[in-house]
Amino acid sequence: MSSQPSPIKLTSQKPGHIVFRRRYVAWRINFRVLLFAILGATVLVLLALWAMLLGTANISVVEAVRASFGKGDPDTIFVMQQLRVPRVLCAILVGGCLAMSGAVFQGLVRNPLVSPDIIGIDAGATAAAVFWILGGQSFISLPVAAFLGAMATAVAIYFLSWKGGISPDRLILVGIGVAAALAAVTTFLLIRTPPREARPAQVWTIGSIYGSNWGDIQWLAPVFFMGLLGSVILMWPLRLLQLGDDLTRGLGVPLERTRLLLIVVGCLLAATAVAVAGPIGFVALMTPHIVKMLAGPLSGSVMVLIAVAGGIFLLGADMIAQHALPVSLPVGLLTAAVGGPYFLFLLYRTNDRS
Amino acid sequence: MVATARLAADSVTLGYDEQTIVSDVSLAIPDGKITTIIGPNGCGKSTLLRSLVRLKAPDSGTVILDGQAIQHFPTKEVAKRLGLLAQQATAPGGVTVEDLVMRGRFPHQSFLQPPNQQDRDAVDRALDLTNMTGLRTRPVDQLSGGQRQRAWIAMVLAQETPILLLDEPTTYLDIAHQLQIVELVRHLNETDGRTIVLVLHDINEAIRISHNIVAMKDGQILAQGSPASIITSELIGEIYGAECDVLLAPGQDKPFCIPRGRHAASPESREAAAAVFEVDGLRTSYGKINVLHGLTCDMPAGAITGIVGPNACGKSTLLRSCGRLLRPTEGQVRLAGRDVNRGKHKELSRNLSLMAQSPTMPSGFQVEDLVSLGRAPHQGFFRQWREEDEEAVETALNHCNLCELRRRSIETLSGGQRQRAWFGMTLAQDTPVLLLDEPTTFLDLAAQIEMLDLVREMNQAQQRSVVMVLHDLNLAARYCDYLIVMKDGQIVTSGTPRAVVTEEMLADVFGIEATVMPDPANGMPLVIPHQAIEEMHASAHDSNNG
Repeated sequence: MSSQPSPIKLTSQKPGHIVFRRRYVAWRINFRVLLFAILGATVLVLLALWAMLLGTANISVVEAVRASFGKGDPDTIFVMQQLRVPRVLCAILVGGCLAMSGAVFQGLVRNPLVSPDIIGIDAGATAAAVFWILGGQSFISLPVAAFLGAMATAVAIYFLSWKGGISPDRLILVGIGVAAALAAVTTFLLIRTPPREARPAQVWTIGSIYGSNWGDIQWLAPVFFMGLLGSVILMWPLRLLQLGDDLTRGLGVPLERTRLLLIVVGCLLAATAVAVAGPIGFVALMTPHIVKMLAGPLSGSVMVLIAVAGGIFLLGADMIAQHALPVSLPVGLLTAAVGGPYFLFLLYRTNDRS
Repeated sequence: MVATARLAADSVTLGYDEQTIVSDVSLAIPDGKITTIIGPNGCGKSTLLRSLVRLKAPDSGTVILDGQAIQHFPTKEVAKRLGLLAQQATAPGGVTVEDLVMRGRFPHQSFLQPPNQQDRDAVDRALDLTNMTGLRTRPVDQLSGGQRQRAWIAMVLAQETPILLLDEPTTYLDIAHQLQIVELVRHLNETDGRTIVLVLHDINEAIRISHNIVAMKDGQILAQGSPASIITSELIGEIYGAECDVLLAPGQDKPFCIPRGRHAASPESREAAAAVFEVDGLRTSYGKINVLHGLTCDMPAGAITGIVGPNACGKSTLLRSCGRLLRPTEGQVRLAGRDVNRGKHKELSRNLSLMAQSPTMPSGFQVEDLVSLGRAPHQGFFRQWREEDEEAVETALNHCNLCELRRRSIETLSGGQRQRAWFGMTLAQDTPVLLLDEPTTFLDLAAQIEMLDLVREMNQAQQRSVVMVLHDLNLAARYCDYLIVMKDGQIVTSGTPRAVVTEEMLADVFGIEATVMPDPANGMPLVIPHQAIEEMHASAHDSNNG
């Protein structure tokens, strides 16, 4: 070791980063992640266009785009504006919300095997929705019921895990317990009802986006963008949370307040997505992983990429579920079919490393 | 060499995946002797030990037990001959000492056979030897560090094997407990005639206890023999890469090693003009258990203050209270005249940085990323990377000699490098005050010295005040300007090392009999421990709370 510290050079730029400094802002942006995000957005747009062309009515690209903006043949306009565009948008927004929520929770509890569907947010929404449907209430207010169910569960988990502070391990255990209890409630409700009446509720519990309309999007879009902004900003303290509680505090982060904010953002995103689409599993779990493998540890720009990737993932899954298989399936079934094995793979890899 | 060796390794090569940890090592463990394997972090000593008890199969070569390749024995037969105390064993919750020790009888039992008189006798003997009889019904997780370690040793003893292998049996223990374990090991060897193999990282402890020392480096054995014959400053320099003086303490027949760093000694004690921390009537508790009982002291500004004391004396608690990680139940800690518990966290973190004892390792981070995180208190969402951030990170990387490692992922670093990276992060925070909690644990001799040299440099070059918890008394005496000695949640004494480190204090606070002599190189006090004063008495009240 040299005892004389050599003169400091400021030339050693981190590769792949650009530094942007103006009067009030000073940012270092990960160029590679940005590039990935642009690439991802392009893929997303192309995929969305392709999705709008698929279906029983044969429509060309130009016609489709024109019809989306209300020009051309009235039938085509109906198909595009009322059926295909909302569905595509809905898939993108729900996927994005779920993926971001997963990233927030995984960062919060420092555990890659956690997502809102595992710690009970989805189970809360499902129990409330099933209760609502079986109670014969209207389908229009269903998302509201599901949303309230999810948020109530989140609040319950938060308070049950509180013991002079939130310990991540406790949060996971409480969440899994609450999820199991709520799943039991749902099952109980379903088997107490005659099969014919229970069917719509059962379908809801798989999770799908085929009934989506502009009403859903009016609600999803603001949450998506607010959630994106919120989680990008929160990524700043979240990086520090990865160092453990003592160091986080030592670096001047008000720990409990930051955790509460993260939980609020994560829950809002998950609850909204679930309220609209039902409990679509594994998107929240898988997407952050795949993105982190490509782009490195969590940061604001990685979060943007995660949102985009979630959109691509769910849209792609929905296209496959709707068109590529002999029978059209709810997308939740497909994500679960892919996600289950992926979860095992992840578990295997985590064990391998430790 | 030795005529008989029941346990031996014959050109053993060991590795994980692609990496070779131990290459072509041959070693005979002399019967009825205490053999200690020493070497720097990552030299393969623990891996070698694991292969000797068949926990790891060699890639090539054989481990020979009683003239046969060890893999030909049934597992239970190996366990009847070899007893292993693994490093950092974890106890399942709620198990009592007696249950734990009874588990050591497993190799002698069969499924349908309940514990018989023989098993019970063995357990009694083991508890008696380790002086744990009085604690036999206590749950293991309620014991103090020293007691817990003794419970684990008792379990291995109950196995009643002629050969015992202990992997770092004294880590985490304070000096009195260390000496007690050393005493116990010697007793087992002398009265029972057992063969003992140890892995130790404290070289002086190894010298004190062993008949035979095996010095390893980079997976190979560099030297082997009795301590007096092989321990020279050349050998220590070769294995650890650190300069070291070897001297014979008066009245002792065994050499004593004093590692030398870049800084020969702390300068003459300066008159501390002001206090950086004023601790005033501080009481702190975890739940209902009081840990600190009304401490009052000042810590001098611009100096290195060391907090020392036996296990569970509350030294980490004091440090954590200074860093606002624990709220006092009474009293206060003032940093430059202001209560640390008032005001914004961010504000405090611009004045005070903290290096935690065993921080969580974030995955996928490079060294540079980690060091950059230290800038957080000076940054905001819109000001994430200003020139001064870049400058501070570069300075920290330079000081900690991390420039070549900056793009390395922290998972791939050695213990010493990792500790330097954490220290770099603390430096990048660029605060006038640093709090360090046991910055040298888990480090080998050279890395410890390197770490503390860095701390000393930061203190001298930039007048930063440092407060650190240390458990090695010799290091504390050498690197600190001011020592605070604690016991049972109270401050016993404080002052310059020369004034504080005396034979009486060591007897009184640490419960050890030791010689304190001036270091021939710089006159700082040097502690040469002999033995624990009290026998291991298993009184209930020396249990503790962490």
